[in-house]
Amino acid sequence: MSQETKTFVVTRFDPDKDEVPKTQSYEIPVEGDWKILDALNYIKDEVDPTLSHRWSCRMAVCGSCGMNVNGEPKLTCKDPVSNYGDTVEVAPLSNFPVVRDLVVELEGFMEKFKAVKPWIVVAKERAVEEGTTRQSPDELADFKQFSMCINCMLCYAACPVVSNEPDFIGPAALALGHRYNQDTRDEGAPERNEIFRDEGGVFSCSFANECSEVCPKKVNPAGAIQQAKLRNVLDWAASFVVKRGGKES
Amino acid sequence: MKTLMLKLEPIIWGLFSGGMMVGGILLPVFVLVVGLGGGFGAVDGQALGYDRIQALATHPIGSLLLLAAMALPLWGGAHHLRHLWIDLGGLKSDGLVGALCYGVALVGSLVAILAVFRLHG
Amino acid sequence: MSTSTPRVDSMKPATPGPTRTAPPRPPDKFPSAGRYPAYLAFGACGAFLMISALVLIGAVWAVGNGEAAWNDYRELLSHPVFLVYHVAAFIGLTWFTLRLFRLFPATQPYRIGPLKRPADAVMVAGLYGLFFTVLAVGTLFLGGALL
Repeated sequence: MSQETKTFVVTRFDPDKDEVPKTQSYEIPVEGDWKILDALNYIKDEVDPTLSHRWSCRMAVCGSCGMNVNGEPKLTCKDPVSNYGDTVEVAPLSNFPVVRDLVVELEGFMEKFKAVKPWIVVAKERAVEEGTTRQSPDELADFKQFSMCINCMLCYAACPVVSNEPDFIGPAALALGHRYNQDTRDEGAPERNEIFRDEGGVFSCSFANECSEVCPKKVNPAGAIQQAKLRNVLDWAASFVVKRGGKES
Repeated sequence: MKTLMLKLEPIIWGLFSGGMMVGGILLPVFVLVVGLGGGFGAVDGQALGYDRIQALATHPIGSLLLLAAMALPLWGGAHHLRHLWIDLGGLKSDGLVGALCYGVALVGSLVAILAVFRLHG
Repeated sequence: MSTSTPRVDSMKPATPGPTRTAPPRPPDKFPSAGRYPAYLAFGACGAFLMISALVLIGAVWAVGNGEAAWNDYRELLSHPVFLVYHVAAFIGLTWFTLRLFRLFPATQPYRIGPLKRPADAVMVAGLYGLFFTVLAVGTLFLGGALL
């Protein structure tokens, strides 16, 4: 393996000492097949044990290691060091409060996430004797793409609406809500659509498409949200007709 | 005002998406032929003469196309400009700017309907 | 890394955590780098949609007022302000529509009604074809070269 060195300009923030985040540079040897995460782990293990960053699976499944690399939200375990020049800037995800160094506050995301009821909502639980629910491959394909989300939050870091509208539920959570609305086993669409049409719901999205651009799992949250908008327009119109029809009858 | 806009959001978004499609397809023709062709005198004077334009505009298909190309893009543009304003940090004045954008679209749409109605009147 | 202050704290939890946090920063490349300028320019093209619709309303209104008013309106179009506007509007609207059509497949579900979605390239080619066909046929017809 050929050895070269690169300088990593890493954001540091110690809540006990620092007023605001600052940067620290580390010049380290890198291997050709490294990902950005490998470089951060090298820094932590060999150079500066005080560096804090989140990671776990190293294979783009757990969604822990999202950071801004040269200003672009990236899953660092999937982002080759060879894509970058001699200097690489690594910062915590934008749009999130920073707990320490490269670690961001997740609780706000979790709250938004729960708001869309991301589980199967049914009026009556299906009894075991009734057997399994059958779903055709086409019915599965209607939502499968939107269920591939690993909650890495890159989409929130890239979204210009998230940085402007405090109530915006955001790409991953809205896409997941749409995923359940599309599921034939689910009956929760009316409840979710009320949330979708409320402040910070699907109509706050201005289709910057950044979420889909940065998504490492090709979930396409922007597409999910546009589909949810259309569905809400139709549902809204339908509810109007039904209500009016009810009065007339 | 923000509550009202939130309530009407589905219909506004419907008009907005229709406006992008219709405006994006039809308005370039108008801009190219009447705006540029007429403005630079590149189009034959007879083609844009009153008799022909009046006949085209009062034809049922012509009137329908005109209505669509006048009213819908106003909503497309209004919604885009409102969101651009929010993106540039204007959320605090969203109530005012949104009302202004949609107000222009609403009044413009009514004038557009009236303008076509007059042709037939 | 951007040093500008955040406008809102969207991702702040309802109850603050046990430790102090640094405030969030907006996306590092927003608004002037990466894909953001194109997105903002796309939104700004809304102005072309609105103004051109208003100019068209003016045209129909003038036709309704009779021949003299229509001729005055045509006279107005050769004013430099209108000429500059229409050059910008034509470029802006064309770019706007083609970008819209390029993004269109991303918004479409796996099934559109009873049909499976066509390949992205087919959708884009179809929409581009629609745009250029309407532009060509519309221009020839309105310009008096057809019929």
